[in-house]
Amino acid sequence: MTYAYFFGCVIPSRYPGVEYAVRWVMGPSGLKLDVQDVPEFSCCPVPGIFYSTDRDTWLALAARNLCLAQRGRLEVVTVCNGCYSSLLKATEYLSEPKKMGQVNKVLGKVGMKYTGIPEKSGDSGRRIFRPVSVRHFVDVIHTDNVMLELANNVKRSLSKVRVAVHYGCHYLRPTEYTAIDDPNDPVKVDDIVKVLGAESIDYEDKLSCCGAGGGVRSHVVELANSLCEDKFKNISSEGADVIVTPCPFCLLQFDNAQKTFTKRGIPVIHIAQLMAIAMGADISKLGLELHNVSCNPLLAKIGEGAK
Amino acid sequence: MGEVEKVFTSGLAEKLSEDKIITEDDLDPEFAAEIIRYGGKDVMTCLQCGNCTGVCPISLKIEYKTRTTIKYCQFGMRKQTLETRWVCATCYRCYEHCPADLNPAELMIALRHIAIREGIIPPFVKVAATNLLQYGMTVRPDEAMIKERVKMGLPVLPQTKPGWEEVKKQIVTIIQTTKYDRLLGIAPKEGSE
Repeated sequence: MTYAYFFGCVIPSRYPGVEYAVRWVMGPSGLKLDVQDVPEFSCCPVPGIFYSTDRDTWLALAARNLCLAQRGRLEVVTVCNGCYSSLLKATEYLSEPKKMGQVNKVLGKVGMKYTGIPEKSGDSGRRIFRPVSVRHFVDVIHTDNVMLELANNVKRSLSKVRVAVHYGCHYLRPTEYTAIDDPNDPVKVDDIVKVLGAESIDYEDKLSCCGAGGGVRSHVVELANSLCEDKFKNISSEGADVIVTPCPFCLLQFDNAQKTFTKRGIPVIHIAQLMAIAMGADISKLGLELHNVSCNPLLAKIGEGAK
Repeated sequence: MGEVEKVFTSGLAEKLSEDKIITEDDLDPEFAAEIIRYGGKDVMTCLQCGNCTGVCPISLKIEYKTRTTIKYCQFGMRKQTLETRWVCATCYRCYEHCPADLNPAELMIALRHIAIREGIIPPFVKVAATNLLQYGMTVRPDEAMIKERVKMGLPVLPQTKPGWEEVKKQIVTIIQTTKYDRLLGIAPKEGSE
């Protein structure tokens, strides 16, 4: 199965380094997975805005993206928890024939039709359709083969690095849809961190929210910052060197909120950036200098300090 | 009516208790049905156990209790419930802990649907939706980021290429078909970008 990159909105326009890292990790210089671009992909659309205000519009816009994947028989790989939950939820909604019919009426105006990916028909001659599959980047990496390949590709030692993993809510919940990991004791990102040779530390309230989602950061920024501060206190009391998250929106939240309550921020990076660092990518291209919280302490720790 | 008042004055936020008397005219018996229509579950099945408030990260910070909100919905206190709906971070912890399988986070989303239709539209929703309508993306890169992308050797963003016009047209058609633009009062600018 060929994968399709789905970067969404935040990564390409705010953290291009994450995009570089993901392409590098999955591409020929890294894990050599079969991935391609779909230039027509648009916004997922943002669950905190479109799903919150009009489900019909949200579903039609999400189905447009799914149609593009269906056309190329692709499996969507999202690098963002928001895109992941939005698109995955859309595939679930669309498995109801009534909803699918309603959406196809709208999509018909732009010459599209969501059916799912047609499989070979059975003996009876009936055509069988399979919903478009939506995967999270972490889920794609966390398979036996890829993890083995990853372990063989580690080139930089991260053994001294203490990593605080932040999963982000929509990676874990609601389990109604997104059951790719244990919602109460998730392991996948920790496993990847361990395979890379770093230490994943435990801290209080590891699964709590960063405070950004659902429009809270856009609407009441003080509230979002205050939730992030709680999280930060727990992480810094364990002496973490870096916060690693699989979600660019949590990354954005930690990166921007930290300056409102502390002068000694902890660097925040995406899991793909950590993988790229460990696998020997060119660090100057990972866009770490674009982060608000300086990543230099982290780079000094792994012996790649600023020249 | 005295009964209703007694229940409420004990749990009301300060702002609400200023106006203690809730008359029958303030209650909307159809409110629960309306919530179901916008994708929420039946609030009448709530046991008022308080698990949702207990796990809610927001309730630690501000005077916002998920359980109380659901209680208001049960009574049909429409006006009082619609104001603070944008503080839910949709972390879905309440859903995981709800014994009645009520999914309070989805209930908040249903309330947002209703609030939008009453004209309570937070500015950022308009901004994001307008961006999508006009540029085909909700978040747009600035010049500096585009330069950084070139430096990294990343592919040119599709939305800066001519082929994007077709995508924009599709998005505008979808939004106009579902009448979302009219709901929010937004419009695509002709010949922008």
